[in-house]
Amino acid sequence: MKKSPIFLWILILVSSVFAQQNVEIFGYYESQLMGAELNNDFYQLYTNKLRVDLQGEIADNVSFGANFDYITYHGKKQWNILNFLAPEVVNSIPDQQRQLYTLPFENRQFLDNAYLKIAFDWADFTAGKQQISLGTGYVWNPIDIFNVKDVLDPTYEQPGHNALRLDIPIQIRSTLTTIYAPHDNWNNSTKLIQFKTGLSRFDFTFTAIEKERVTHDYSQFIPSRQNFLELSEKRQLLGFSTVGELLGLGVYSEYAYNLMDDSDDFHEFVIGANYTFEFQTYVMLEFYRSELGKNNYHDYTITEWMQQYTQEKKTIGQDQLYLMIDHPITDYINFGLTGIHCLSDNSLSLVPTLEYSFTQNTQITMYLNTNFGKQGTMYAKDSGSGGMIRARVYF
Amino acid sequence: MILLFKDLRKTFPLLLIIVVILGVRLSASPNQNEQELTGAEIINKVDKLLTTNTSYSKMQMTIETTSGNKRTFVFESWSKNDGEKNLVRYLEPRRVKDQATLMLNDANDIWMYFPRTERVRKLATHAKKRKMQGSDFSYEDMGGSGDFDEDYDTKRLEDEEKNGHECYKVELNRKPDSDESYSRLLMWVRKDNFYPIFIEYYDEEDPTYLQKVLTQSNIEMIDGIPTAKKMVMKNLDDQSQTIMEVLEIEYGVEISDRKFTERGLKE
Repeated sequence: MKKSPIFLWILILVSSVFAQQNVEIFGYYESQLMGAELNNDFYQLYTNKLRVDLQGEIADNVSFGANFDYITYHGKKQWNILNFLAPEVVNSIPDQQRQLYTLPFENRQFLDNAYLKIAFDWADFTAGKQQISLGTGYVWNPIDIFNVKDVLDPTYEQPGHNALRLDIPIQIRSTLTTIYAPHDNWNNSTKLIQFKTGLSRFDFTFTAIEKERVTHDYSQFIPSRQNFLELSEKRQLLGFSTVGELLGLGVYSEYAYNLMDDSDDFHEFVIGANYTFEFQTYVMLEFYRSELGKNNYHDYTITEWMQQYTQEKKTIGQDQLYLMIDHPITDYINFGLTGIHCLSDNSLSLVPTLEYSFTQNTQITMYLNTNFGKQGTMYAKDSGSGGMIRARVYF
Repeated sequence: MILLFKDLRKTFPLLLIIVVILGVRLSASPNQNEQELTGAEIINKVDKLLTTNTSYSKMQMTIETTSGNKRTFVFESWSKNDGEKNLVRYLEPRRVKDQATLMLNDANDIWMYFPRTERVRKLATHAKKRKMQGSDFSYEDMGGSGDFDEDYDTKRLEDEEKNGHECYKVELNRKPDSDESYSRLLMWVRKDNFYPIFIEYYDEEDPTYLQKVLTQSNIEMIDGIPTAKKMVMKNLDDQSQTIMEVLEIEYGVEISDRKFTERGLKE
């Protein structure tokens, strides 16, 4: 933390040098207040984020991009997950271990993306920490084993991933992509090959991925490691996705079959449809099933909950439905209403949202989420309701 | 898809705009059988104005609300095959910098690129009705080539003067099998160069309900092609307007097909 001002100064200095060399510098400052209701009290977490982007061409067909993020947290910076869970889950944990389930929000500064891109006649090669987005789903992406989206804020940017990527265009609408994300050795490094093509009004994608899946058993704490028991196994994914139009509706789907080395193989899929009415209202419906999720909320263990909070798994409920209605009230204001329904435990969260283009480069986003589920369900009414307001200024 | 295409035409101005696409050869001599021209013949000549092989343009789009607030966007646009392929990339404001939209098959296929997440999303036809960046132009207005002839029956009305120019006035009624978004258009076409300088767009269902009005002005000859350097679209429902201004434009530029691929979208 003490180093961060120095880091910032270095960044500014480097940026100044770059500025004289046809390198673009831009980014944004973001101020965000999040809150959640807990035991009849309302707790807040306030976040400041500065993102500085650099982008430039080093030579013909050689470019680079990078961004540095500096984030500070204020307010309630320690959140114990147990406070949000049902007594039957909490009571399964020994008293002396309960403080272990605290998620800390500590100030951070890091290089989020930093990559070099070379455009050959026959392919694009990208090396470094970069964005990797896979799949056609809006909220859930079974094929994307690099990222997990926040269901309340699914379009928020994702972290960069260290990888070597080659995109080879084959025809106008066809591309072969390979990604190698190195880890300790070849075996536990991530390998991906994807073929994307188009036919008529549809795009199709075929994907194969091999990746080490690392999770934790949050019921077993290992004192010598000061961490929970780590579980690691090889995951091989075969996926398919499509997006197009059917009977006037926008439709998309994603399917992934996961072959696991140790645990049971599992399926995941998403299907969705959307439509824009003449009066500009946009409606989207997305259904997600994951066999990693449970059918009965009494089976949600502390490990399930923690894996979801730490984004080791996308959902703990097996079936979820996401309905979004969005309408531009004026040219600058969009109002939306989202309903997230976990069909497996019959819980529901309603999320009204508002987006306001306050000035040319200032965007204000806010939402309130109110839960209606029984105690112990994914969207339980006695915990987790809250909201967020975010102002972002681009420069 | 078709819908999109059609809209385009209606909004034909946009086309212009966008890229200006108009590659027009003013072929008609002003006085040629002026009295005998039918509505279809006039619209044919207008359609020809919208035919340009390739073009590059840099445009400024300013959205004005009734409260007087303004938002200004600057984007580059590349067009090929008489507007059948279009690529739009935003330069300003910073909020949307490098966002891009690829429109193929006369805007029946649209992909959007979001650089912060490297995500490319394909849009269905209906999404083309959405306002582009909150403007009074829809996505469909911004892509595709102009061909009113295919989708509308035309009828020449009594000539009128408009904005200081002698004009043919033509009514275009959507053909029964067409899925254009507008049921009816009224178009004022300059007699001296067949340039449509004023167009009224009527509701999809109600041909008496006026939705939008487009005015094209500052027409200059560029590379022998008449080009409106300013277009104003007024939305009568929202009481807002969007002004498109051509900052730069070139016709007949060499553009590789690679530009109009997902790879080009991300460049």
